Amino acid sequence: MSRVHAPRGLAELLALRADLPGAALMAGGTDLVPRSRARGGLPEDVILLQDVPELHGITSGKGLLRIGAAATHAALLADPRVGRGLPVLARALACLASPAIRNMGSIGGNICTASPAGDTLPPLHVLEARVELAGREGVRELSLAEFILGPGRTALGPGEVLCAVLVPRPEGFSLQHFEKVGLRGAMAIAVVSLAAMLRLDGRGRVAEARLAWGSAGPAVVRCPAAEAALLGRRPTLSALRAAARHARAAVRPIDDLRASAAYRREVAGNLLLRLADLSSR
Amino acid sequence: MPQEFSQIDRRHPRNDALPKALGLERFAADHYPEGLLWAGARRAGIPHARIRTVDVSAAAALPGVVRVLTRADVAGSNLQGIVHKDQPVLAGDKVRHCGDAVALVLAVDRETLARALSLVRLDLEPLPGVFDPAQALKKGAPLVHEGRRGGNVLVRASIRTGRGAAVLRECPVVVRGTFSTPMQAHAFIETENGTARLLPDGTLEMTVSTQAPFRDRFEIAQALGLDPMRIRVVAPYLGGGFGGKDGATVQCLLALAALHAGGRPVKMWWEREESMLAGYKRHAARLTYALGADRDGTLRALSCRIVMDSGAYAHLGGEVMALGMESAGGPYRIPHADIRGLCVYTNNPVAGAFRGFGAAQTAFAAERMMDRLAEKLGMDPLELRLRNALRRGDRNAAGVTMTASTGMAACLEALRAHPAYAAREAWKRAAPPHARRGAGVAAACIGVGYGRGLPDAATARIELTETGTFRIFNAVPDMGQGNASAFALIAAEALGQSPASFELVQPDTACCLPSGSSSAGRTTYTYGNALVRACGALRDRLLVRGAMALLADDTADLTLAPGAVRHVKSGRAVPLALLARMMILEDRTATAEFVMPVTPDATGGKGFVIGFPHLLFAYAAVLALSEVDELTGAVRVRRFVSATDGGRVLNPQGFEQQVAGALIQGMGWALSEDVLTREGRILNPDLSTYLVPTAADAPEVDCLAVDSVEETGPFGMKGIGEVNLNAALPSIGAAVQDACGARLDAAPLTPEKVLGARPRRARRTP
Ligand SMILES: Cc1cc2nc3c(=O)[nH]c(=O)nc-3n(C[C@H](O)[C@H](O)[C@H](O)COP(=O)(O)OP(=O)(O)OC[C@H]3O[C@@H](n4cnc5c(N)ncnc54)[C@H](O)[C@@H]3O)c2cc1C
Repeated sequence: MSRVHAPRGLAELLALRADLPGAALMAGGTDLVPRSRARGGLPEDVILLQDVPELHGITSGKGLLRIGAAATHAALLADPRVGRGLPVLARALACLASPAIRNMGSIGGNICTASPAGDTLPPLHVLEARVELAGREGVRELSLAEFILGPGRTALGPGEVLCAVLVPRPEGFSLQHFEKVGLRGAMAIAVVSLAAMLRLDGRGRVAEARLAWGSAGPAVVRCPAAEAALLGRRPTLSALRAAARHARAAVRPIDDLRASAAYRREVAGNLLLRLADLSSR
Repeated sequence: MPQEFSQIDRRHPRNDALPKALGLERFAADHYPEGLLWAGARRAGIPHARIRTVDVSAAAALPGVVRVLTRADVAGSNLQGIVHKDQPVLAGDKVRHCGDAVALVLAVDRETLARALSLVRLDLEPLPGVFDPAQALKKGAPLVHEGRRGGNVLVRASIRTGRGAAVLRECPVVVRGTFSTPMQAHAFIETENGTARLLPDGTLEMTVSTQAPFRDRFEIAQALGLDPMRIRVVAPYLGGGFGGKDGATVQCLLALAALHAGGRPVKMWWEREESMLAGYKRHAARLTYALGADRDGTLRALSCRIVMDSGAYAHLGGEVMALGMESAGGPYRIPHADIRGLCVYTNNPVAGAFRGFGAAQTAFAAERMMDRLAEKLGMDPLELRLRNALRRGDRNAAGVTMTASTGMAACLEALRAHPAYAAREAWKRAAPPHARRGAGVAAACIGVGYGRGLPDAATARIELTETGTFRIFNAVPDMGQGNASAFALIAAEALGQSPASFELVQPDTACCLPSGSSSAGRTTYTYGNALVRACGALRDRLLVRGAMALLADDTADLTLAPGAVRHVKSGRAVPLALLARMMILEDRTATAEFVMPVTPDATGGKGFVIGFPHLLFAYAAVLALSEVDELTGAVRVRRFVSATDGGRVLNPQGFEQQVAGALIQGMGWALSEDVLTREGRILNPDLSTYLVPTAADAPEVDCLAVDSVEETGPFGMKGIGEVNLNAALPSIGAAVQDACGARLDAAPLTPEKVLGARPRRARRTP
């Protein structure tokens, strides 16, 4: 049996965190609890984030959205600033797990789990989101790439918590897309996924492309070469095929039960071709 | 002339719908008797080994541990098994698969139990193992069971009809193929569990999630050296079974634990991973076929070789194979056939009964061969099936004559007449970008009941309660298929009462009467027939008692009306509540037996113990409309249309649930479900890696019932719980090939396989 602590504010949370260095933070528990099953149970102390108001809610700042780390996927989807304002993230949230899990699981939990298959990560990468960490020494900000070090590893300091995700409001990205390849229609871990944002100029040519792949390497994979291959071209099949070749060269997938590395590599490229269907609509 | 019914063939909600929706229904897993102990098994963890020692001292010394038992504590034969008894309750000298139980721990709570299990020290000497049938069949292969005449061959069986496979040489058109189907897990929500307690008078009382409470008593008694009549088994509604709870799961271990619990109740409940490890699976199979026909598509000859992986023990391996072989030629007339089957021991997880029961495996091969033949002949696949479909009086490839209701052609015709069938080409053309759509048809059949060699019997008991309502003593567990509700409906129809006036007692060997298992499409058929008879006896009795109360000369002018016995001419009536008060319990009770008739056929089958041949078959024809994503290879089934011959439909709602449920479970097996092993170890032992379909994957399902009456069935029904499962995989396989040209003969059809199997010309498109 674990002792469960439910701090009522950030200061109390940080104090507890300092007192109980071995404690686990728990937001929705949808990663923590199943994972501890295999490890013979939860740690002795568990600190709940549910009652810490500073970690909840979404606020609009200058040019950016500040999303509380403990905001649930369902809450984000229900908020038009995410649902309509950040389609690339909303698409990922909509296919994350299942309605029940989306009611429990949080965006902060998804980030801190740092799974190569975390569904919010590729969208947050292309949105160039930053994370806000709070510790007793103060608050610091990191880019997602700085924060996530590898599978299950983050730059979260011992006394720190992830407070919020800061998402710059994307301007002019008329084409936003997220697609996950899973082995079933829901509750499926990504075999490979793609988040894409394209800003098109007045003649429909790509002025800026941001592409990120999930489950295609130890962390989210960006591919500047693929992005560059699209610049100045319309997102046609032939342009996307060229970008796909770069993508296949850039990804570092693994073989596992779900799929082979070769399949992941091929499909990482293929997924780009979907953008042609979207832009022709 | 159409028969008039008051209850049958109308939509009724199931009796268990509301209590289940409200969470009030108590499954076996919901039982927590006061003062219980937890029992758990230490599993071997390696696939093949000689047991040197099992050291329980550290585990036994742990505070909170009540007992640690080993093979030495088992007084009986220590062997479980339904037909072949070869599976030890606790392994003593040898381990044959990773899930073998080697020690049994009783502890005061689950945490202590888990710790104690890890403290049992096993000294095992690993032995080389065999992990697929081909390897197990090699000369000099390690033996899973020593000292057997057949070595690793559990059952070798053959069926030869007509002039056998030699006729293939005379056929102008011959197609060939080799197919494989994976091991499938039942993945029921309620994993294997039960509670047990030894009462002061020596009775062993058990509540178990089981499909066969009456048989369980004998299996437990024999394994543990007990008197079967001193064992009482109660079987509440099951949270799923699908065949995986037919035969001993927790029963013997639990009973053994209770014998050593000092009279305290014991609970055993397998975790999901343990259920995957130690529970039964669908047999993985490899099937090699050759099918010969005339140029006009008339089937002439079949050769097939079936090899099934039984895993470490027999369970119902021989019987599963028998059923598969019986329908190896599909629901078609094939005059000459040579069908051979081998069921082989390996050090893999134990295979056993699973909805579809062998016929699911052969249906994949048979139906895909029909598609191949249609392609070669340039014929429409549905028309080819219709041309060869079994009709009443025909013999199938295994030489079994269809003497009962045989609606195969009617199913195919109903499918052909369905608007979705006519519209399939237009639907395909409307595929979204980067998607290819395809349509596939499959036909399937499966024997109903146990088949010859074992009486398929049930005994019904019904009583008029003291308050004038009725109580049915159901003796065949309801694992979710809805047979209990069907019994209330059958009795309501037979007695002219409203279904609401029936209360259902769930199986309990202390008050229900011996009946066979909940399985084989025989549950509602066999018990339902017994119940119709019991209702007839009760009605006659009530009329006689009513005549007395109404001072009628005899029963000629009396009828059983809802809630009363009525004199038709005078309109006078005596309420059942009043009558009941004048009758003692024995008088208010009626019982009746039913034994399923058997086919008189003596066919050329060799090597079967039981389970071949059958008298009754259920039939289905299924259209699958599937979409293949060209970029990912992912297959989505968008729609199933199924036409089923299950005799008369008792409750359309129950019928649809069975049809849709079977198709979706079959779809899981077709697309994603695959118990992966390496050297006998399961690689995907939980539900995040073993993938069953979710509600989001479930396609639209149209469930048609063809006009059919099975004369021997209760109100004309026969069982249909399984048949649609068998059509899912072949229809999806055909649809995928139609969509993108990928012909996949090894299930499941994963995105990776589909993407890799598309012909070159299709691959260039993206
Ligand atoms: C059935 C099922 C299906 C799933 N499907 C998907 C899926 O499709 N896609 C997907 O991406 N994920 C999936 N998941 C994983 C999980 O639901 C998500 O990652 C979810 O976002 C985790 O959030 P949580 O709040 O539940 O995290 P928790 O389990 O509470 O926490 C996860 C980890 O993050 C740490 N943590 C949480 N919040 C903070 C914080 N504010 N500061 C510092 N550390 C913190 C915790 O200590 C823990 O180590 C699934 C899980 C389940 C059980």
